Amino acid sequence: MAQDASGAVGARLSPQVDSLIRAAQRGDQDAFEQLVRTYDQTVLRLAMNLLRSPEDARDVYQEAFLRVYRNLHSFRFDCSFQTWLYRIVTNICLDQLRKRKVRKEESSVVETSDGAIDRMEGFEEDAAEADPERSMWNRQLKDRIEDALRDLTPRERMVFELRHYQGLRLRNIGEMLGTTEEAAKNCLFRATQKMRSVLGDFV
Amino acid sequence: MTCDSVSKLIPLYFYGELTPDEEDRVEDHLHECRECTDALSRQRALAAALDQRQVDVPPLLLEDCRMDLMAAIQGGAPRSESASKGPWTLFLEAIGATFAGFHRLQRPVGAVALIALGFAAARFTSTNPTLGTADSGTSNADVFATVRSVRPDNAGHVQIAFDETRRRTISGSMEDQNIQQLLLSGARDQDASVRVESVGVLKDRCAGSGEVKNELLDRVVNDPNVGVRLEALKGLKPLLGDAAVRKTLLQVLHSDDNPAMRKEVVDLIVTQRDDSMVSVLQNLYQREDNNYVRLKLEKALKEMNASIGTF
Repeated sequence: MAQDASGAVGARLSPQVDSLIRAAQRGDQDAFEQLVRTYDQTVLRLAMNLLRSPEDARDVYQEAFLRVYRNLHSFRFDCSFQTWLYRIVTNICLDQLRKRKVRKEESSVVETSDGAIDRMEGFEEDAAEADPERSMWNRQLKDRIEDALRDLTPRERMVFELRHYQGLRLRNIGEMLGTTEEAAKNCLFRATQKMRSVLGDFV
Repeated sequence: MTCDSVSKLIPLYFYGELTPDEEDRVEDHLHECRECTDALSRQRALAAALDQRQVDVPPLLLEDCRMDLMAAIQGGAPRSESASKGPWTLFLEAIGATFAGFHRLQRPVGAVALIALGFAAARFTSTNPTLGTADSGTSNADVFATVRSVRPDNAGHVQIAFDETRRRTISGSMEDQNIQQLLLSGARDQDASVRVESVGVLKDRCAGSGEVKNELLDRVVNDPNVGVRLEALKGLKPLLGDAAVRKTLLQVLHSDDNPAMRKEVVDLIVTQRDDSMVSVLQNLYQREDNNYVRLKLEKALKEMNASIGTF
């Protein structure tokens, strides 16, 4: 679950993060690096999970933190740093997702250090050894999940990702996406409904 | 509350996004309604299924991203060809090289060829120590063979001599000597991904052993794959008080061609604040051609209240 450096999800700034930001705003590179390291793993995971390509995730990482670097002087502490950062990250990811929606290309295969693998592979392998029938069922379930996620709009996908995988509160998600908590709730509801209808008998 | 209104709230109830009042009303309804309770179970099953598709970030990718970002921010001179490749890229290349070598091995060369019996792929396996008391798990029928000689005769037959290796799976505790020996063997496997995994486990669980320390020291200097070297380096972090470890780290600073490695070593040395390192770091600063590592060295010297140059 994504947490702010203070330990609370979507929390206001912790004193440590606060002083890192102020030092980085004064041009302290070391402080900026520490600030990046506080959040970058979650950012990269979000990008990997949404875009499912290390190369695209890497581009998102680079672009997002370069924007942070260039615009940090304009951060006025009127929202949590995480919210500010995620606004940047989600915008870049949404752009990527929209482009993909147009191209209609998204693979369930992820490039990893071991070459191309399916992200559900581990899940299936465990079951395959124990029960081939279950393995086939898992394979079908995996395909359906991919279909279900593909059916979501980029915004529904983003809200679902941030709530389900990153554990952020809908209030914060609304703030990050420049919308209301109510709109984020509606997005989550629609996303869940769509997935349930596509997954049908599986869940 | 009606079933219709509750069904709309179930996803929000599951994610804990209702107000306490709404939550109470939904729970009251769930106590009385089987259909809505089933809908909540389906929501839980959906969430559990979706949990399975989360992907982990490969640590080397993260390291690579950090290096790229910091290099972009420094905006200094373009890095050299080898330096411009981060650990992730180099790791992928090393894996590629491993398999490129593997393809070469698959071709019969002279009288030596590889075959796999009952299995589609084949590979050399390193010499494994005899498995003693480790809990033996399932063994399977994967048999790998290295062909040593091929002699056709006039009758149309062929005589083939081969060494046979059988794949086994074992599991056991890290304290088990056999497990440790296998991990040490894995740390020198031809396959870089096996080496990364083996060194990763050794550094986390067995770093107290002298044999493991020696292996980590060897890998950090001699492994051709930067992913393995980085893993070994992490394992040496708790051992910085050891003179042999510090000597090896200096060797890495002097000779490792990967800036990520040199940068990590500088970070480690800073934590020690060993004044005897000052002159070494000053010399390294003069030689270092990577802007980011130079910056790190500069900061390290500053923290040690030393100048960046020797006078």
